[in-house]
Amino acid sequence: MLLGCESCGLVSPAVAVDDPTLVQECPRCGHVLVATKPHALQRTWAFVVAAAVLYIPANALPVMVTTQALQRDEHTLLGGIHELWLDGSWGLSIIVFIASIAVPVLKIAVLGLLAWTVRHKPHWRRLERARLYRLVETVGHWSMLDVYVVVLLAATVRFGALASASPGPGLISFAAVVVLTMLATWSFDPRLIWRDAADGRAV
Amino acid sequence: MRLEGTLIVCEECGLAHRWHGLGHGAVARCTRCDAVLDRSHRLSIDGILALTVAAAAIYLVAINAPLLTLTLRGPSEQASLIDAIRYAWTDGEPIIAVVAGITALVAPAAFVALRLYVLFPLSAGFKAPGFAWCVRMLHQADRWNMVEVFTVGVLLSLVRLAGLAHASPGPGLFALGGLTVLFASIQSAGLKRLWWQVE
Repeated sequence: MLLGCESCGLVSPAVAVDDPTLVQECPRCGHVLVATKPHALQRTWAFVVAAAVLYIPANALPVMVTTQALQRDEHTLLGGIHELWLDGSWGLSIIVFIASIAVPVLKIAVLGLLAWTVRHKPHWRRLERARLYRLVETVGHWSMLDVYVVVLLAATVRFGALASASPGPGLISFAAVVVLTMLATWSFDPRLIWRDAADGRAV
Repeated sequence: MRLEGTLIVCEECGLAHRWHGLGHGAVARCTRCDAVLDRSHRLSIDGILALTVAAAAIYLVAINAPLLTLTLRGPSEQASLIDAIRYAWTDGEPIIAVVAGITALVAPAAFVALRLYVLFPLSAGFKAPGFAWCVRMLHQADRWNMVEVFTVGVLLSLVRLAGLAHASPGPGLFALGGLTVLFASIQSAGLKRLWWQVE
């Protein structure tokens, strides 16, 4: 078996064959080479479950609190999207919906599916599963969009009682969901999808 | 330069391939899982260095210059990237400030600084001390850098503020846009390429 270094790309022969817990060092750059990431499935599940639990307060609690002409308003994630939609900014409301609702849900569902299928359906649609993993890895960090928007609004709308905005308690949960799903993605080892698979395109 | 017949192992499925050189604009994909193995790249080390120097200058503008200005019946407020993170810290959301600070301020800074540290010696023909560690840290910086998302966040904030008061974009926003483009072109060269130069 051959192991490729993720940092420098050098390919080294594995010192032991068929040992999934194998850990060795890249002879060129010293980076760790592993046959499979350590406890990949357990870590992925832990992060996915934590993200799924925190996703509830992220949606239920307000992510932003605004004051305008002495009137205090609390905005949830979905509420903000709804306001954009009512204002006629349909395109924007769709972008925010994708970034804040669709991507986190997709990530939690896809990572759960990937971790489950490794154990229970190892031969099922390997190429499609590999593509799903790639998709989740690529779009994952776009969920941070709403966190940045609230930070920016709180930094510019500073007119005291006339108008002000500040982050709400839901925003911390939401930021945690984004970070946890990113950690879950990196903990999962896509090579597990291909365990015992034949080479070439025949799957 | 990478040699004909060098082995590449697909990072996503572990299958080994032989590298046979890539034509201009070509992309090599894994025969089993279709992941990208390698892309041809036009920029030399000097070219990447030039882009990184430009990115360093633009980064300093992007974090210090006002991103947007808001005027409400007279008084106006403006905020830069650093201001936004500082306000999040002082207004009682330190966790949010840390998350935004790492992804929009620290990771981009490491992205630029470590590349400069590695690329200047490389273009002069030698390996910087701690080269291997720097490349590993650069992989982390690339992962956590979210400047492009932050840029879209500024645009979105502008639109949302337009309903409340007079909002106008500041020079920091344009710098962020430029930084996004520069980062994408620097990143497309990949980090493994750096190792080809020291062989």
